[in-house]
Amino acid sequence: MNHAKEFELEADEHVVRQTRKHWLLFLIELLPYAILAILPFALPKLLLLAPPLVPYAARIDFTSPLMRAALGIWLLMTWTGAWSAFTRYYLNAWVLTNERIVTIKQRGYFAREVSSVLLTRVQDVTTNVTGMLPSFLDIGNIKVQSAGADVEFTMRGIPHPAQMRDLILKYVPENDGTPDV
Amino acid sequence: MPDQPLQAFAPPSALLSYLPTSISQGTVAGWFLLFVLVFWAIYTLVAIYHWLKYSHASLVAIPAIAVHLGVSFVLIVYALSGTLFI
Repeated sequence: MNHAKEFELEADEHVVRQTRKHWLLFLIELLPYAILAILPFALPKLLLLAPPLVPYAARIDFTSPLMRAALGIWLLMTWTGAWSAFTRYYLNAWVLTNERIVTIKQRGYFAREVSSVLLTRVQDVTTNVTGMLPSFLDIGNIKVQSAGADVEFTMRGIPHPAQMRDLILKYVPENDGTPDV
Repeated sequence: MPDQPLQAFAPPSALLSYLPTSISQGTVAGWFLLFVLVFWAIYTLVAIYHWLKYSHASLVAIPAIAVHLGVSFVLIVYALSGTLFI
């Protein structure tokens, strides 16, 4: 995998692991889009439940050209939104190299933040798994605290946080500068 | 203080002459579709730019773009299939 476009790897540096938010959290993010996609098909049936709105239910006829255009545009916008959510999900990542941790935050289009902390400056790594579902699926947060300017990295919703913490700590060098392997 | 009763507002008649006398439903739908499709095209181009620039040549990038274009194409054809023949 080539990371050279956003951060140059040093001569003896290599990527240990790249991780992103758990796929289940992404699926939960897709839920509103799924509801929006179903809405036009469910609307006639929902209108029938409210007596004053029953006449409007008959007007929703997807065989008419205008209604087809409206439905097509509605679904196109919903699909584009969902795909955009996937784009954001995929472009947000944490990269652990043998020398540093890089966080890539894609907050939106044209709003991208790439920051890194050297493993030599890491003071503390904390994992946090809260809730029944995250406990079953092993999804949690990792907080990496570094020395100096009180920089704190938090990876939220990542799979197997304890495993990731151990991996980070494995590459945090001892005081003499050699990795703690 | 004027002692005349208030007159209902009426737009200047000269301006009314500039407005089209009748706009068909199809014309409105056509312009709306055009606006939405231009917006979609710009949005998609921006997203593709981000995929190609920031996905680090990931194997996911090209399939993701292809799926988006494929699904969008089907939906656009569906949306236009009715209005094109109004």
